[in-house]
Amino acid sequence: MRIAGYLLVLLLPTVAGRADSPVDSRTASKVPVSSHWSYQSPLQQAVPQVHNSVWPTGVLDSFILQRLERHDLPPAEPADRRTWLRRVYLDVIGLPPTSSQIDAFVNDPSPVAPQRVVDRLLAHPGYGERWARFWLDLARYSDTVGYEGDPEVYFAWRYRDYVIDAFNLDKPFNLFITQQLAGDEMPDVLSPARLPIPDPEGIVATTFLRLAPFTEPRGDKTRHEMLSEMTSTVGSVFLGITLGCAQCHDHKYDEISTKDFYRMKAFFATVALPAPLPDDIYQIGQSLPAPFYRHGQEQRIRGLKKKIHREIEVAEKSKNEARVKTLKNVLLRLRPMAYALTHSLGPPFGPGVPASHVMVRGEYDNLGERVWPGFPVALTGHQLPAEIRLDPYGRWPTRGRRLALAKWIADPDNPLAARVLVNRLWQHHFGRGIAATPSDFGNLGSEPTHPELLDWLARRFVEKRWSIKSLQRLMLVSTTYRQTSRRTHAKAQEADTENHLLWKFRRRRLEGEAIRDSILHVSGRLNRDLGGLPVFPPLPDDLAERQKVMGEIRWETSTGPESRKRSIYIFQRRSLNMPLLDAFDAQVVSDSCAQRRNSVTALQSLSMYNGPLVNTELPYLVERVRAEAGSGGAEQVQCAFRLVLGRSPTSSEQDQALDLFAASQPRSAGLAGLCRVLLNTNEFIYVD
Amino acid sequence: MSMIHDFGRRFKLTRRDLLARAFNGLGLLGLGDLLASDASAADQSLNPLAVRPPHHQSKAKRCIFVFMAGGASQLETFEYKPNLEKYAGQAMPKMSNLKGELAGKSNFPYVVFPTRFGFGQHGQSGRYICDLFPHLAKCVDDLAFVHGIKIDNNNHGPATLHMNTGSIFPGNPSVGSWVNYGLGTSNQDMPGYVVIQDPRGAPMNGADVWGNGFLPASYQGTLFRSEGSPVINLRRPAGMSREQQRLEFDLLNRLNTQHAAARQETNDLEARISAYELAYRMQMEAPEVVDLSRETAATRQLYGLDNTTTAGFGRQCLLARRMAEQGVRFTLLVHGVENKKYSWDDHGDIGGKMPRHAGEVDRPIAGLLKDLKQRGMLRDTLVVWASEMGRTPFMNNIPPSKTPGRDHNQYALVMWMAGGGVKAGATAGETDEFGLRAVGESIPVHDVHATILHLMGLEDDRLRYFHAGRWRQLTNLGGNVLQDIVA
Repeated sequence: MRIAGYLLVLLLPTVAGRADSPVDSRTASKVPVSSHWSYQSPLQQAVPQVHNSVWPTGVLDSFILQRLERHDLPPAEPADRRTWLRRVYLDVIGLPPTSSQIDAFVNDPSPVAPQRVVDRLLAHPGYGERWARFWLDLARYSDTVGYEGDPEVYFAWRYRDYVIDAFNLDKPFNLFITQQLAGDEMPDVLSPARLPIPDPEGIVATTFLRLAPFTEPRGDKTRHEMLSEMTSTVGSVFLGITLGCAQCHDHKYDEISTKDFYRMKAFFATVALPAPLPDDIYQIGQSLPAPFYRHGQEQRIRGLKKKIHREIEVAEKSKNEARVKTLKNVLLRLRPMAYALTHSLGPPFGPGVPASHVMVRGEYDNLGERVWPGFPVALTGHQLPAEIRLDPYGRWPTRGRRLALAKWIADPDNPLAARVLVNRLWQHHFGRGIAATPSDFGNLGSEPTHPELLDWLARRFVEKRWSIKSLQRLMLVSTTYRQTSRRTHAKAQEADTENHLLWKFRRRRLEGEAIRDSILHVSGRLNRDLGGLPVFPPLPDDLAERQKVMGEIRWETSTGPESRKRSIYIFQRRSLNMPLLDAFDAQVVSDSCAQRRNSVTALQSLSMYNGPLVNTELPYLVERVRAEAGSGGAEQVQCAFRLVLGRSPTSSEQDQALDLFAASQPRSAGLAGLCRVLLNTNEFIYVD
Repeated sequence: MSMIHDFGRRFKLTRRDLLARAFNGLGLLGLGDLLASDASAADQSLNPLAVRPPHHQSKAKRCIFVFMAGGASQLETFEYKPNLEKYAGQAMPKMSNLKGELAGKSNFPYVVFPTRFGFGQHGQSGRYICDLFPHLAKCVDDLAFVHGIKIDNNNHGPATLHMNTGSIFPGNPSVGSWVNYGLGTSNQDMPGYVVIQDPRGAPMNGADVWGNGFLPASYQGTLFRSEGSPVINLRRPAGMSREQQRLEFDLLNRLNTQHAAARQETNDLEARISAYELAYRMQMEAPEVVDLSRETAATRQLYGLDNTTTAGFGRQCLLARRMAEQGVRFTLLVHGVENKKYSWDDHGDIGGKMPRHAGEVDRPIAGLLKDLKQRGMLRDTLVVWASEMGRTPFMNNIPPSKTPGRDHNQYALVMWMAGGGVKAGATAGETDEFGLRAVGESIPVHDVHATILHLMGLEDDRLRYFHAGRWRQLTNLGGNVLQDIVA
């Protein structure tokens, strides 16, 4: 199977070269392929036989049930319909259902009602806004580069929108991989005279490679660090291989040698970081032209620019320098550019293909053995350099390296890419991966609890044209997903305390972003505009004020509707986390993050109780309650519970809430108090 | 204070009652056990900041880390190099074997630049201290110095991270996070790791300097401000009385408790209930800790609060003592902002700027040492003074400028430690006659970190955390304790 990828490339009518390597396939030593589980192709799995033939909704359930039956553990009861609906809403679009949506579903007798809900939610634009986040965590996405001055990357937001679109359009994952690694190299060279112009989407996608923190370039050392980071990140994100461990010495636990690392790094050897733009005082490297390609976007941006120019005039007249500065910054963000990279041009316009070497102990100036781009030996079983499909006219020898890497990763026969992604999706739906270390499928990673299921899902994923939505649909409509999280079978609890076998659903806390979005949703003020420029919601206390350094505005606080867009649009500044999101572990990342932490701290309580978001939204929520329920205390309590928690209060809850009303000074503080309490409840911020 | 306790008692009774009803006759599992035992014991099992025993006995119980942002010159502070006079104005002799960023400088005719400030001998040890630090000079016998520390990068951003987190890359836990991860903290009404930054702004890399990296979020530094509300979001919403908030917290706790009672394996839910308790207590405690109005005039003067130059850092230092008294495990003070004016990054006019930087910190830091000592706290408090890099013995500019300064020098950072477990008056490491770099082996930052951990009762090789495929530790692949300065 490992040959197949090569054949595919060889069959194409092009010149394929082995990057001027002296290694001959006839003399290259053969190395046994590692026997490690994740390096083997996923096997075809038969549908497991189970005794309880009623329980499974699909094949997925049979895999789960088979293991439970083998251990004689009963699966949990299904969650009630309200709980399931809230679960699936929060899971798929990151917002809770309204009480009328709950009523409609609870009273829908149709047996396919759940499927309909799942389909509707997967088609909802909020789906991409929620699911792009997990990819942005992996991509170490930020709108600034970190380090000295923490300068802004003006066009990073276009990559963020690219990822949201990719999820919403259900972009096949193999294409998603290829665009991000080699979007600029995808079109074929059809003329000896000039390079093809890649489509702007492909250019924007390569932003992925550049998102690492970046400091003032200091020559070869910086370049070595940057390319090494790319190599490590690609390894862990797409392959679940902790390649970075082999940068300085052979991997201590996996069969990855230092040479493997530098062979992989050689795929990036021709990456060019052109000179910075004139405005780019921090010299963070050039951005590339990338016209706006989304439907109607160019027109909208033209309109927006006009509006901003007018605002600048007004601000200049009133001598509001800070405002002028902010607005000019916005104009910079609106240039049709992308924070992308490309290959160097090659002679005579640029340097040729540089020789790649092992760098001994990871030191940039300590050159070891020469290497050629190639894949880890443990996976391929040989040390041959990779086939690189070169430009047939021989003009651009620097082009095609990253495409070769992308094609190998996204090849249906690559044992890792599909498995790693499927496992990531599973982790987000079920609270823990089938393999619990989503970016490490090596020896120190955790072994899969259901290896056959992982294989089956991976194969199906590839068969269904790498469709992420189709795979998620499978998980969401399953009986496994429908189980309650509440009741514990004493026996199961004892036999499998950690719930590895999924005999019930795992309750989990919402992410910071979903908490913020849910609060805005409940107050009725969430701005649902899709995509666009980063936004700057208000910060507590004088935090924004204190960010000002040398008159530079680092947080362009807005209180307008744009500040109430979904959290994914919040400006990601590496040196400043928004306290609310920070407290809930939604920090701006600096390296690829496969799993958020799940902390419980007093700072969460302080930001939820005293912070600006809850207290700004509170009057609007109170107003909603008053408008719907009138002035009667009992009606208000009913209404507040339904709006925030999507259910009616129990009679004791009703009494307790009314007690608060009675004790509050002034009395009108009672309803606001109740609303604030409800937004702070565990019920509101946990997925049950 | 009584109000806090009343609140706590009421809350516990309510919760116990409710649970008793909810679990009546069902046989309590986890929750029942939690309630049956002492509340503090229950906290222990849930609380990542609960006190843990050290790896070995140590004198230091807490640490105050004082960081000068921008690269404080060793040659205008604690590195006495009379030889520089001999070469003054001459081209710097060939600097061979320099690696990294400084290597590029070795081919240029840089001009040797002796300091314009005097040095005098002080204390019983007769150590040379720059005349810019008259107050600190009086404490010299309490200090142990480390010379010729090598940083892995010559830029501020990475170098600052290196000194504070052991790695030049963002995303790694800071020293204070590791210490809290190892030891927990004794005062559960306060964070275990407090950061007080320069009132004029943040240092380079911002929160990454005191970040928890891959460690759980409980171990990150909590930013206290020296003015205004000490912690972000600590103030109750405008117009809300304490009584009203208590009523609301009461209802919240009831609702959360009922919610937990209908569920099982509720550690996380319970932890969140107690987080609200801590938040409530912090609202009371933290403003009191930062309220300096009750300090005596003598104390305020000792720290230089009576003088506009020293008041800013003076407040930071005095707050650090308050934190130490409150049992805060690790306090990070940052002096300097990532702004040329307020940073120690003196590429030009070092003669004009050093007196300013030194003038701002000398009295406060000496005041802190004296105050800790007179209160008997210096013996169990470790005080560390450091910057992210040293500076060059030659002028920054070619041709020489009229207001010369010094360039970055990653090979010659100087620092000192004092207090718990430190051998007072001792020295580790030595630099060459120019103060350019170490004589012989330079001292890696990892050794400095291993020493700090050792003094805090922790062993570098045992303080580990599994992350991204391998066991991680503050010193990456390990560091050696600088035995020369350990008592």
